[in-house]
Amino acid sequence: MFTIALKDIKQYFKDKTAVFLSLLLPIALITIFALMYGGIGKSEKSKAINLLFTDEDKTELSNEVFTTLDAEEGLKLEAKSFAEAESLIKKGKRTAVLVLYKGFQDSVEAGNKIPMELFYDEAKEIEMGLLQQALWSNLFGITMQKGIKGKVNTWIKEKNPDLSNSEIEDIQSQVAEQFDGFSNSNEQSEIEENSELPMTALVGEKKDGNLGLVQAIAGIAIMMLLFSVSASGASLLKEKEDGTFRRLLIAPVRPSGILYGKMLSTLFMAVLQLTVMFLYSWLVLGLDIFINLPALILMILCAAIACSSFGIFMASICKSRKQVESLSTLIILVISAIGGSMMPLFFMPAIMKKLAVVSVNYWAMEGFFDIFWRQLPLIDILPKMLILLGIGAVLTIISVISFKRNLLKMV
Amino acid sequence: MLLAKNLTKSYKELTALSDVNLSIEKGELYGMLGPNGAGKTTTISILSSLLKPDNGEIFYEGKNLYQNLAECKKLIGVVPQEIALYDDLSATENLKFWGTLYGIKGKNLQKKSDELLEFLGLADRKNHKIKTYSGGMKRRINIAAALLHDPKIVFMDEPTVGIDPQSRNLIFEVIEELHSRGLTMIYTTHYMEEAERLCDRIGIIDEGKIIAEGSLDELKTNSSIKEEIHLKYSNPNKNKLDQLTDRYKGQLLLNEDHLILSSSQANAELPELIQLCSKSELLLDKVDIRSLSLESIFLELTGKSLRD
Ligand SMILES: Nc1ncnc2c1ncn2[C@@H]1O[C@H](COP(=O)(O)OP(=O)(O)O)[C@@H](O)[C@H]1O
Ligand SMILES: [Mg+2]
Repeated sequence: MFTIALKDIKQYFKDKTAVFLSLLLPIALITIFALMYGGIGKSEKSKAINLLFTDEDKTELSNEVFTTLDAEEGLKLEAKSFAEAESLIKKGKRTAVLVLYKGFQDSVEAGNKIPMELFYDEAKEIEMGLLQQALWSNLFGITMQKGIKGKVNTWIKEKNPDLSNSEIEDIQSQVAEQFDGFSNSNEQSEIEENSELPMTALVGEKKDGNLGLVQAIAGIAIMMLLFSVSASGASLLKEKEDGTFRRLLIAPVRPSGILYGKMLSTLFMAVLQLTVMFLYSWLVLGLDIFINLPALILMILCAAIACSSFGIFMASICKSRKQVESLSTLIILVISAIGGSMMPLFFMPAIMKKLAVVSVNYWAMEGFFDIFWRQLPLIDILPKMLILLGIGAVLTIISVISFKRNLLKMV
Repeated sequence: MLLAKNLTKSYKELTALSDVNLSIEKGELYGMLGPNGAGKTTTISILSSLLKPDNGEIFYEGKNLYQNLAECKKLIGVVPQEIALYDDLSATENLKFWGTLYGIKGKNLQKKSDELLEFLGLADRKNHKIKTYSGGMKRRINIAAALLHDPKIVFMDEPTVGIDPQSRNLIFEVIEELHSRGLTMIYTTHYMEEAERLCDRIGIIDEGKIIAEGSLDELKTNSSIKEEIHLKYSNPNKNKLDQLTDRYKGQLLLNEDHLILSSSQANAELPELIQLCSKSELLLDKVDIRSLSLESIFLELTGKSLRD
């Protein structure tokens, strides 16, 4: 068994194309995807984001905020009570709600701390990125302008208590003309401070894990791993086609030993590939792999077991190498798509998210998300590991049975 | 050394082997001669435990194969019909791999594989990948892989298929050397020259049955035909050969430029044959009478040619 596994590994390293495909290609893809997801907040403007809006102030100014934001190209506002909004976000149907509390207008005009807050779903990091950009520029625009106006107002009133309101406004418009929007003053920074928008995550906690990066790494690594394990599985059928399989059976080796040897070498290559991927992500892409190293090692092992059993499974149910290649390419593309390897699942409709559970990619990626982004302790990631091991066990059992039934007969 | 009784094997409808009996003595080189599809590979597969026969028993040195599988497997070496090697590994790496499966280790393994590569004239290319080898070299390393564990009996399944005459001769020399060292071998082929040249005893197999068995001399003595008439000719007219084929049904092998007629009395038959040839508009170039070959014996037994 070990002899066979060692021989396979030797063959693997001799085949430069295989090594290239299993190590360098995923590295390249991960890099591309990481850059893509990383840069998404800057370039993506096509799709409007739904922002919920709870107006508890119900003033002229709060209304103005609503219309200004809604007019913004990338934003679409929906007025909802806070309770409604909260439940929509918790269900994952909306990204965030902007709440303007009572006293919003008064505080803005008085130049006090502005009572507003943003509640959001942390899982939707990419949309949040877009949202924040849109909010910052617009919300600040409004509150700044009004805030400065308020400050000036108060100041003039203090100094000249006998001026009428219309006189004050007159002065203000002159001042505004003169300075064209106060730059460089202490007051501005004070207003900025007051306009600070407190953000509360309704879903997930605020941590600085990099969702896009993890998505790129885990998604691509698992998908590419599936490709290389099915190639490794296909080598079992190559042995059959070349006649080396017959020779193995003639030698004093137990037939199951041939299968286990193949599993072992496939598993080794899977672990190697994932390890290289994560090392690369750490060294080049700045992923903090030490955040929970034991969990990462276990996850790599579990994902490798599940994936390599997939490769062996494909080999044992197929009749020829060609069949393995075409069938597994098809299956891998499908399960990678529904499992979220290619596109983040949160871009997808709810039905797709439910469908994803049939995919090994989903569980592996969820596991890696748990480690790097949700930053859960090992004990909370265990269920996902167990599911991966379960997938591995089921596929292996089917493989062993059909190996005995088919391959041995076909010599 | 090897005793096989009543081996029978069917694939669905087709009976690949029926009631084959073999008894191979120690040191014997037994040839199994038969056309493609006769059941040679099936026999080898059954003898090497790869296939289970539907019926029959196999004994190596008196031990039942299936009851002493691990033990018997070590006695057997098989040179498969195809090049069953990893062509992306070198000759040495291949031999070491197969040796390890038989429990040979370390220095001993190194020594054995070097010796064999030397013996087969592959030493200078031993670290090159097999896929860079010529057909003849691949055939030789295919043989080497079966010898590594010092088997007591070796099955060679058409080990010279698809190679040039020179490489074929190299392999013959190897086999003769192994034979002289006392190795027991079963050699299958569809070339009668190979069986005639190499083998102590020959079993003629067709459609899953051994239809004749014995040394070359015994086969010749037991045959009713004694001689062969070889006729070389040019420009045969295919439509006019009916008379010939009708007259000598089951006796005549017709080829592009020559025919072979098996005969019990060549001198007596020659005049009629020549007469028929001229009627068939064959221009004769050369006529000679030779002693009997396995080809004619096969023809006599089956009514078919060995090669199709
Ligand atoms: N796996 C198989 N399934 C069905 N028929 C087979 C199989 N292997 C061999 N045969 C048939 O059995 C017969 C004997 O084949 P084989 O032993 O390979 O002949 P040989 O080696 O003498 O050319 C042939 O007719 C062949 O078609
Ligand atoms: Mg054959």
